[in-house]
Amino acid sequence: MDKQYKIQVQDLHKSYGDNEVLKGISLNVKPNEVVCMIGPSGSGKSTFLRCLNKLEEPNRGHVYVDGYDIADKKTNIDLVRQNIGMVFQHFNLFPNMSVAENIMLAPVQLNKMSKEEARTAALHYLDIVGLKDKADVNPTTLSGGQKQRVAIARALAMKPDVMLFDEPTSALDPEMVGDVLEVMQALAKEGMTMVVVTHEMGFAKRVADRVVFFHDGVIKEQGTPEEIFDHPQQPDTKSFLDKVLNV
Amino acid sequence: MSKHWLRNMLMGLTVAVGIGVGLGHAQPVHAAEPTYTIGTVDSFEPFEIPNNKGTYTGKNPGIEIEMLQQIAKHEGFKYNLKVMSFDATLTALQAGQIDASMGGMSVTDERKATIDFTKSYYDSGVVMAVAQDGPIKSMKDLKGKTVAVKAGTSGAIYAKSIAKKYGFKLKYYKTDNTMWSDVQNGNSAATFDDEPVLRYGIRNGMKLKVITKAVDSQPVAMGVKKGQNQELLQKLNDGITWMEKTGRMQKLLDKYTKGSGTKTDGAAQRTIMGLLKANKGALWDGLVATLELTLVGAALALVFGVVLGVMGIADGKFFPWLSATIIYIFRGMPMIVLAFFIYIGMPSVIGHKVPLFTAGVLTLMLDEGAYVGAIVKGGFKAVDRGQWEAARSLGLPYGKALRKVIMPQGIKIMVPSLVNQFIITLKDTSILSAIGVMELTQTGTVIISRNMEGFKMWLIIGVIYIVIITLLTWLSNYVQRKLA
Repeated sequence: MDKQYKIQVQDLHKSYGDNEVLKGISLNVKPNEVVCMIGPSGSGKSTFLRCLNKLEEPNRGHVYVDGYDIADKKTNIDLVRQNIGMVFQHFNLFPNMSVAENIMLAPVQLNKMSKEEARTAALHYLDIVGLKDKADVNPTTLSGGQKQRVAIARALAMKPDVMLFDEPTSALDPEMVGDVLEVMQALAKEGMTMVVVTHEMGFAKRVADRVVFFHDGVIKEQGTPEEIFDHPQQPDTKSFLDKVLNV
Repeated sequence: MSKHWLRNMLMGLTVAVGIGVGLGHAQPVHAAEPTYTIGTVDSFEPFEIPNNKGTYTGKNPGIEIEMLQQIAKHEGFKYNLKVMSFDATLTALQAGQIDASMGGMSVTDERKATIDFTKSYYDSGVVMAVAQDGPIKSMKDLKGKTVAVKAGTSGAIYAKSIAKKYGFKLKYYKTDNTMWSDVQNGNSAATFDDEPVLRYGIRNGMKLKVITKAVDSQPVAMGVKKGQNQELLQKLNDGITWMEKTGRMQKLLDKYTKGSGTKTDGAAQRTIMGLLKANKGALWDGLVATLELTLVGAALALVFGVVLGVMGIADGKFFPWLSATIIYIFRGMPMIVLAFFIYIGMPSVIGHKVPLFTAGVLTLMLDEGAYVGAIVKGGFKAVDRGQWEAARSLGLPYGKALRKVIMPQGIKIMVPSLVNQFIITLKDTSILSAIGVMELTQTGTVIISRNMEGFKMWLIIGVIYIVIITLLTWLSNYVQRKLA
């Protein structure tokens, strides 16, 4: 375990029954680093991401976040998760609460803020994602892009050091994608440590410090966006990029 | 007749009130006259006919009750009546808790060992009755026919002993009224029963006639504990002799067992309005008991069900397994079996009685709770998995995620099914009449055993249920609209 890394993953294995989805993955993420994970569907990138906050439990290997071994039963996973924000493909906003209440829930329930402070914070983060006027509506009335921006604001309200994005734009109509990516890019600029599973190659190219190519449960290749997109070394990487870039 | 009571003990079909409710009506006590405690049964027409509240303060309380009233007056003593099951009268007599017991008690050699009997005032034997205008003239006509009997009675035992000889089949019933109606309507060809019981039914309007002489006759008498209370025994014997000599006894017996078609209540009380008026107190009490059982039972079922539901969605294998098993057992068991098990089976295991209301509420809690558990589990599971993940990934612990995020959404999904289950609970309380809980249905059974007005009384009770359920449905629709 190396203190200089925000996230350190060693030899991670994960199987569902006989199907081995992750076949020994090691990856380190430095503070302020933006890592984009690309690769074909079923290559294991989402599963890997979900192992980082223990939404999936690995069969073997270690995941350290801020130095805590999250596979260790003694680690309070709830405390670790408070520092890792997560954004899902399908938003997962709470339909039984207003937009502001969605954002206020965790800070208030976990005694991070009083109700008033949380409300102020919620409005602040909604302002950042450009949805201050939607504070008191029900999230079910929002468009997909708006929902996803609320989800980002909700994660940010816990003031996490790390943000995980699991295909955040895959469920959006094309015209909505830009708004969400814009918010994410701004976050990256401010120095947020981010791990992003995405099919948005343009975003990866522009924003990522490092691009990781997943294939069949292993990391086939990783490097700077230039290395991966302009000079891919592996035939699998080339063939994947050919498919997604030449549509 | 002894078997008749064995049936009562086994099935717990105590008609009026539970054993625990030792109701009696106190007579004013005068220092000059001794006061005796006399145990009797909770109902045994025509010897003991409870009023619609289960006590013997009414106008026609039955042969033995009226007999005791007359004897006590003539012999100059007072008494308190203690009402219990027949078996309890025998136990209480031996324990010295009562001075004498009565309840259509047959004089048997076995009982003579522990009881000193009074003179007998009635010989009770088994007779056969058929529909008044039916085709059956004698036992020979029964070939290939169905005969109705009450399970556990001496009538049933006798009928079984001759069933092969005469080539008829037996059909068993729980209550006299249902059984007699079946014969009257021609579904069954005949019935065998204790003569006084049958005569009483006919006297009260059942269109039946007795066509055989009594067989297996046994004398009926009161009793005191062997060697005890000889003074009371003497007074009772003197009183019985006096009543027989003066023709009072025959008059009393005739009042309850002779004639037909003339009912103990007047014709004015036979209309639906009349029946409602005459029984409004009892019906109201029954309705209140039904509502109490429903509310307490449903509230406990909700708590139990939520526990089962939360266990059902817990992490790991043990709790979901436990929840599924409990739900499987209580959903799979007929409620009546569960009620018998709790009320009749449990006391022998835990060593003390389970009060009737407790047994009823416990039955509802377990049975309805299992259904609620399945509903709650289903409701929670219907909440999108992503809601859990979003809540947990924010750092909310399991319990908070459940309470703040999953429950509010799950409950919305569950509410219509829960409301439905609540209404089913109300209807299911009627099953508890099987263990003698005086709820609405049992109240109906008791009233009908008195007035034989099966059709009208069940109609009244059915309408009461529908009215209550309609009101509840309106209320729940209102609540659902508020929640939505």
